[in-house]
Amino acid sequence: MLELYHWEPNGSWLKPMIALHEKGLPFRSHYVDVLALEPYPDAPRARETRLPLEGEGPVLVHEGRQISESLFILEYLEDAFAAPALRPTEPILHARILAQGRFINEVFMPAVSTLGCQRYLVPQLKARAATVAARAAQIPTQYLREGWQSALADHYPPELIADSRRKVALGVRRFEDTLAGSAWLIGSTYSLADIDAFAICNALPTLTPDLVNHAATPHLLQWLDRVRARPAVRAALAMSRTGQPEQAFAPGPEHSRWG
Amino acid sequence: MLTIYHWEPNANSGKPILAAFEKGVDFESRYIDMLAFEQHAPEYLTVNPNGTVPAMLHDGVLVPESTVMMEYIDASFPGPPLRPADPFERWRMRWWCRYFDQVVGPSISMFGWSFFVGPAMRQRDPEELRARIERIPLKERRIAWSKAIYGTFAPEEMAESGRRIAEGVGHLEAALAERAWVAGNSYSIADIAGFNMLAGLPLMNAQVANDTATPHLMEWLRKINERPAVRRSFALGRTELVRRYAHLERRAAGPGGAHA
Repeated sequence: MLELYHWEPNGSWLKPMIALHEKGLPFRSHYVDVLALEPYPDAPRARETRLPLEGEGPVLVHEGRQISESLFILEYLEDAFAAPALRPTEPILHARILAQGRFINEVFMPAVSTLGCQRYLVPQLKARAATVAARAAQIPTQYLREGWQSALADHYPPELIADSRRKVALGVRRFEDTLAGSAWLIGSTYSLADIDAFAICNALPTLTPDLVNHAATPHLLQWLDRVRARPAVRAALAMSRTGQPEQAFAPGPEHSRWG
Repeated sequence: MLTIYHWEPNANSGKPILAAFEKGVDFESRYIDMLAFEQHAPEYLTVNPNGTVPAMLHDGVLVPESTVMMEYIDASFPGPPLRPADPFERWRMRWWCRYFDQVVGPSISMFGWSFFVGPAMRQRDPEELRARIERIPLKERRIAWSKAIYGTFAPEEMAESGRRIAEGVGHLEAALAERAWVAGNSYSIADIAGFNMLAGLPLMNAQVANDTATPHLMEWLRKINERPAVRRSFALGRTELVRRYAHLERRAAGPGGAHA
């Protein structure tokens, strides 16, 4: 049996929700209220899933085994349930998906997450600041603990915001340039590359409208519409309980320490 | 035709080299002297516009990122598999590669740059160095080189890197106490990545990695060090760097059988 622990269909949470629907795999959905900072899944965390490398994110449980890191959950689903394939068979295309994934996790996503947390998480925490502060202090992973504490204190130095906007602009330009010449991000078909990037980009027209709009990024917007029109993506987005999944942000991943 | 552009056969440069030797794949080795800034020279930037090492060309197509190069080599050529067949172990292989790339590796290289690259660089003409740094294409690498060359890693940065190395070694020791290889029952690219990052650690951070504190890690390093592919990889080195790994040689077992 497949069980998915997830929050709102946005960011890292959204990726496995889309893939499970694309593959038509039945799964038990465990909706996690991430802002309550309660432990999940129900069983104690395994050695690897105890150490989040992408920040707050989903956990897939398959026959008792815990699988974390959203792109690697997608890879796992491809390895365990081949059809219908969402990963090109040519090694060079798979290599580009993995390399894009590294850019997303180490450059693009930390920046989007910082801007999203500042805008949406900070006000949401006001009502439950005391509980969150007490629980955040117990988080063993330092960058994640500090991410929650920054949101509680609304502490986002101007340099961090400027650097985050630079990184978002870099990623947006890269995707727009690719999509100007191709319907999908890597290769000629919809793939894990599109799921990986869509889950992060879906929030950008509202989060950074000056960077993502009809004049600046027409191809990126058309691609967002193309992905959103897929039945599996619609089904995943329909699992939102707030009706505004693109406003669901939690800390992570860490900004690269070398600049 | 496979061409690997690399510096010394350790850290990131060592990853595709060792994967190719393990797989039995023929490749052309092109040594790029990082200390002479050959990775930022115009000829190299036509191969890899980011100016980072290693780079790999297969029939003229650039394959990105050292960890990804290993997956590519395994997927593209016949030879012994370097990725587990079991999907869960394969997931674990990717998890550890990300942990090495994102957390442990950058911390170790901060030490390596601070103690090896930086001092070597400060022998050079300051004006020339300034001009060299200006030419580095990626902002992130410009910052890193500048900190390494001028020795300006803050003490808190070094302390945090030290903390991450110790924590990473602890996690790896615990994992290797449970299973023979990083991802599970078979040698994989996670072991290749880990070995290339950690082989110098018992020398550089002996208080963290040693036979008393981390016996499983030490046995794993020695076991990999004995592989013929590792010997062939080290033979591509031109500096003292890989000769330092002599500390992993097992001494002839004496009466106690110890290999301290």
